[in-house]
Amino acid sequence: MTTHPDPTPAWRRRARRSTLWSSLAGLALTLGAAATVWGWRGDLPDEVATHWGPGGTPDASMTVTGLVATAVATTVGLLALFAVVGLAWGSSASTRRTAAGAAVWSGGLGAALLLVTAGLQRGLDTPQAAELPGWALAVVLLAPLLPAVGAAALVPGDPALPAERPVAADAPRTTLTDSERAVWMGTARGGAALVLGIGAVVATTLLAVVAQLWATLLVPALLAVLFAAMFAFRVRVDATGFTVRSVLGWPGTHVPADEVVEASVTRVSPLGDFGGWGWRVGFDKGRVGVVLRSGEAVLVERTGGRGLVVTVDDAASAAALLNTMADRARADRTPG
Amino acid sequence: MLWTIDAGSDEPLYAQLVAQAHLAVARGDLSPGDRLPAARELATSLDLNVHTVLRAYQQLRDEGLVDLRRSRGAVITGAAATDLTAVEEALRTFVAAAREARLSPEATTTLLQEELKR
Repeated sequence: MTTHPDPTPAWRRRARRSTLWSSLAGLALTLGAAATVWGWRGDLPDEVATHWGPGGTPDASMTVTGLVATAVATTVGLLALFAVVGLAWGSSASTRRTAAGAAVWSGGLGAALLLVTAGLQRGLDTPQAAELPGWALAVVLLAPLLPAVGAAALVPGDPALPAERPVAADAPRTTLTDSERAVWMGTARGGAALVLGIGAVVATTLLAVVAQLWATLLVPALLAVLFAAMFAFRVRVDATGFTVRSVLGWPGTHVPADEVVEASVTRVSPLGDFGGWGWRVGFDKGRVGVVLRSGEAVLVERTGGRGLVVTVDDAASAAALLNTMADRARADRTPG
Repeated sequence: MLWTIDAGSDEPLYAQLVAQAHLAVARGDLSPGDRLPAARELATSLDLNVHTVLRAYQQLRDEGLVDLRRSRGAVITGAAATDLTAVEEALRTFVAAAREARLSPEATTTLLQEELKR
């Protein structure tokens, strides 16, 4: 008799499910808004303003059909992008969650763009009369976040999946006697990431101030929150397993000791391996990365084909202790 | 950094933490300005009472190794960086001599403890 290895890991099924419903939900949002705008055709000028220059005067316009087609095409393009991310790299629940949230956000963005752009121009004769109030940008950027957060929350987490094999015998260990308890604590913080983050916030702030588009100050404000959450992470290895959490408290994740297949030291290049800095999903097997600088990092291989890479100094100590804790977790499960 | 405690040791748990902080500073694993872990977090991870960790931090403060501040926790002081090269050299000589005399590790430790009590 031969046994066939499972050709599709369980996460692929979960990734297909979350990608399908989130893409459909995103598409439904944009198509619903498109149908609404289509119904407003009688109230809209032949050409609607689609872009406003500094000072709030319209400087580009297109037909209602063109507007609807552009918004739908943009949404479909974004949905395809996030579907690829979810399907190819969604081995961890956090990645599936982010991809599903991003898909619904894309649909919400298309819907908000359509409804705000067309809604402002109902009853106008020419697009030149269209005024863009300051709140429009805020609504377009922030409103889609609500359904996106809801969608992300709907994606189920990873079920418990304890490892079935012991940690490889040649993996590094920390020598501890039975009566010894240990914890390793470290911090992941950035070099280039920090500079880039501050640079982006300063640049977008200057842009908004120079152009006197005060509403666009929202962009650096959102970026600042994002970078603050990504700027430093605390890392802990103890009897419960491996924990990495932003110093702000979110985002973060925990790998239970009994789900650790093996921990090791690796070297990463944030741009080359993860396409950027911060909380990322990697090109290699959808490993989740908390990568704030290049160089030494701890790699935690987890059951279910998952992986987590965190850039910390002294990664060797962290990896060795985690392997020891993984041994202990297995010993606790099968006494004797 | 790595913190270990041995629940089977005769040495009090808080004293084990104090010793490790001193060692970490001596080795350069902790530098002035570095922060010790939050007492609650260290206690949870090592399955200790938080008062055990706080007692260790208080002793480290009394010894001048850390500043304790309500807002920032336990921060390694500038005065903490003591040069231990001479002590380490003397220890190596001591251990080598003990091995030469075929003393057991227990007997060697007892000798050291007796000397410390003088």
